[in-house]
Order: sequence, then C-alpha cells, then structure tokens
Amino acid sequence: MTESKSALYREAILEHSRHPRNQGRLEAPDARAVAHNPLCGDELEMMLALAEGNIRELRYLARGCSIVIASASLMSEAVTGQATARAAQLGRAFRAVIEGRAEALPAELAACAPLEAVRQRPSRIRCALLPWEALADCLSEDGDREAGG
Amino acid sequence: MSDTGLDTASIRRDFPILKREIGGHPLTYLDNAATTQKPRAVIDALVDFYEHHNANVHRGVHTLSEEATALYEGARVKAAGFLGACDPGSIIFTRGTTESINLVAQGWARQNLRSGDEILLSEMEHHSNIIPWQIAARETGAVLRYIPVTDEGLLDMDEAGRMITEKTALLALTHTSNVLGTINPVADLIRLARSRGALVLLDAAQGVPRQPLDVTALDCDFLACSGHKMLAPTGIGVLYGKPELLERMEPPSGGGGMIRQVWREGADWREPPWRFEPGTPDISGAVGLGVALDYLSALGLQRVQAHEAALTRQALRGLEAIPGVTVYGPSGGVARGGVVSFNVDGVHPHDVAQVLDEVGVAVRAGHHCCQLLMKRLGVAATVRLSFAPYNDAADVERLLRGIGRVKEVFGDDGEQKRALP
Repeated sequence: MTESKSALYREAILEHSRHPRNQGRLEAPDARAVAHNPLCGDELEMMLALAEGNIRELRYLARGCSIVIASASLMSEAVTGQATARAAQLGRAFRAVIEGRAEALPAELAACAPLEAVRQRPSRIRCALLPWEALADCLSEDGDREAGG
Repeated sequence: MSDTGLDTASIRRDFPILKREIGGHPLTYLDNAATTQKPRAVIDALVDFYEHHNANVHRGVHTLSEEATALYEGARVKAAGFLGACDPGSIIFTRGTTESINLVAQGWARQNLRSGDEILLSEMEHHSNIIPWQIAARETGAVLRYIPVTDEGLLDMDEAGRMITEKTALLALTHTSNVLGTINPVADLIRLARSRGALVLLDAAQGVPRQPLDVTALDCDFLACSGHKMLAPTGIGVLYGKPELLERMEPPSGGGGMIRQVWREGADWREPPWRFEPGTPDISGAVGLGVALDYLSALGLQRVQAHEAALTRQALRGLEAIPGVTVYGPSGGVARGGVVSFNVDGVHPHDVAQVLDEVGVAVRAGHHCCQLLMKRLGVAATVRLSFAPYNDAADVERLLRGIGRVKEVFGDDGEQKRALP
C-alpha cells in the first residue's frame, strides 16, 4: 500500500468528518427521527424545519464514525432547500448506488461520490446510510402527519 | 522461540491462513476473542472425516456409523479430559457458548427458579450471559442483579460479597472478560456462592482457550465454552454440567436420538449427555474440536497463558506510550487474559479498525456484545485486540505502527490536535 490517503478516507470525507456542516439542534423541529446502528451502537438524531413542502433547515446530532458524520454533513448540504418529495427520492437513489444496485448518483448528490468507496467495504455501508435512514424516517413521519390531517 | 517457551515460528507454519496478505501486508490477526484461526491438523481432520468416516452417530450398525460414533464420543472424552471433568457424560456438545448458556437457562432455570429467586450476573457480561437470564427471569419471576465493575475494570468484590445471599439461586459469571481481559476471582466467588446455597455457571468462552481450567477443582456447577475460540471449527461448543444436576434436568428441546422410548402420550429421556443433544449433532465439528484440544494440550495451556501475558504486557506498554490512546481494564501487575481494549482520542473505533485493516491488522471495533459494560466505561465502543498462541511480538509492533498511521490519517488537522491532551 502506498502512503497516500486510503481509498475510503479521501480528503473530502475526512474534511467533512472534521468540520461537519449543519451539525446541531433545532429547537422546534417539524420532523425528528433517530436512527441506530445496533452493530456498533452508533446513533444519529435528525431534525427538520419544513416550509411549504421544502426542507428549510436540517440539523443533526451524531455519535458515529467518520463515515456517519461525513455522510450526514454531505447530505445536509445536498437536501437543504429541496422539496421533501425530491429529498426522499434522493435518499432512495443514494441507497441504490451505495448498495450497488445502481451506478450513477443524481446530480444533486455529486459531492457524495467519495462515499461510494464503502461499496468495497460492506461492513461500512450501514454507516453511510444511517443519516439517510433518519431523513427517510423524518419524511415519512411528516407524511403521516400530513396524511392524518 | 519466545522467552515463554512457545515456538511461535513453528506454530505459525501450522496455520495456513497466516500466509495470507491483506492489501499487500502480512496478515496480523488480532481478533482471536471473536474467533481463532484453525491449524492444518483441524482442517485436515474435517476433510479426513468426510472422506473416510462420514455417517450418522448412534444410529447404525454399519462400519462407518461405528467409526463416526467412536470419533464423536472420543471427542467428548477429550473435552472432558481437557476441562478436568471426571465423567464424559457431563460434557454436552452444543453449537457454542451461547447455546450452552441457553440450555441451562431453559433447562435448569425454568425448572428450578421460583418467583423472587435471584440470578446474579455482573456488569461485564457478554449479552449471551445476560439475555438468556432475562428470558428465564421473565418466565419464572426471578430477579436479575448485577455485580458492579470498578473503575479499574475489576469486579467489585465487596459488593459481590454483599449481593451473594440466601436468595441467590445462581451466579452466572464470565471467567475472563471479552472486553477488558479481566480474569475474575472465580474460585473465591464459587466458594462464597456454595456457602450460601447458590449454583455457579461460568461463561468460560475466553477463559478456556487462555489458561488451564479444571471444573472439578473449581467446583463450578456449569461451564460454557466455544470450540471456535480455541482453534476448532465454528458450530461446536461445550456445556459442562455436574452429573447430578444434569440427571435431574429436563431437556429444553426434543428430537431424535435423545429418548429411550416413545409412546403416544410422551417419552422418557436417555441419560445425559444424549438427552440434551436431540437431532444429528455437529459430528465433524466435534471431531475437529477434539483435534484442536490435542493441539492446545501439546502446546501446553500454561505456556499459552505465559505467552499471551507477555504479548499483553508488550501491547499495554506500547499503547500507553502513545499520546491520546486510552486503555481500558486492569493495569500494571493485575493478572489479565490476552485481551486489550482501547480508544484513540477523537477517532471512532470503526475508523481505527478500518485504517488498521488497510495495513493488514485485524482487530475488532464495537461494543463487543457488552453494552452494559460500555455504559459503565462511558463509551459507545472500543477497539479490541486479542491474542492466540500464533501471535508474536512482530504482530504487536505492526499494531502499534498501525496506530501511528491512524493518527496520521485522522490527526493531521488543527481541530483534531486540539482534542488531544
């Protein structure tokens, strides 16, 4: 192995894990969900502020590895401002690529490309998906609430 | 030859997998508390069984069935000898430690526990020595209590002395912690439990591979261990039980091979151990276990113990010298098994393990199925290294160099450096 940075720990991932964007708490979130990884005890709480069907603000608190944090940070930049329906679509598209069922990430997720390296590391796939699971829960919770009137 | 009397160079040649490279680096396998690698003799024994002796046991009069039965029961005799059990009938083959403990929880406990009886565990138990008792307690109304762990990672013996009372029906305790390497003073605790009328089950999954244990001398009532953590194949384990307890114990599950006769309304059981082995057992696994025990016996468990203690000292010294590394568990001079948990400040254990893997070093990262202990230590997870007879000083050096690499990948940032003490 060379002394270069490893395939998984590309600079973009390390940089986001050191300086996560949008980390923190929303005082009165419109949607909130917690995702767990029972294999390692990692935990991520996601909070959304919604306005007119869009994600106005997104914050999260995480106890996780660099992949969890970087994935949450990259996701937060990609979905803030998006319509909730589009954000849910992006989540499904991201999962499909990370799980190897699709090749190309949607343009909005171009910055998430370094996370594709977890495809070579199946034990870390769950880490990359954890924030997206929390987001999907938030959005379905929101959907339920709207459906329930 | 190591200074503890194990010829590791020769031992390493017995383990084919150690020739593997991981990403161009020699494999440094330090995840032995999860499962050990297997020597050529064990692998060959499996092939030999299937090529020459394969048949079901206790079922046929034909030659192969006689041979398979002799090999299977021969492994039981070896296991009894290895554990110091006088009677091979006290050795039940199971799938592993987990199934062994469940067998006692579903067989002995459900039959004998009454509402209000106490099952005493400790905060350092593996989930496999917690969950079966939670299930048994729910079914019987028994109460679970936990002996606390001190800041140093030892059992709080003062508390243990207070908590073992006439109400204690069973003390179920790990012999050697799979996270901290702590070796519990089980002989003292067994005497104490005995004096107050409690039975004792030892979870010896980490203890049996690492030091000589003798169930007769210890006078424990049950002991559970796994083959795959001591050079044998996965899928085979042992429950030792005192013959007089097994004799009165109901089988928690039923099937072929465990009965004397069956009539429409019921059946009567064969004697132990067969009463507890319904269905076709893991015959080749048992044969492999027997060969693994022969291999370990030839090395000598006392030498294995001294060898792992030397590697553990080397690892502790090396880890404690690295700034920003926190080591958990007993320190300086306290006897511990070949298991060490640590964390690198500001780096998640998964990331530590991943970077170590990139230089060929296999360690475990996570909660190690010990969430109660993680809470007690105030961490979500740790990195764990654990030794086997084939590990040597070079393995420890590669691990320590690997941690240097971890710090290089994750620590070359101002923010990160400020997190260090």
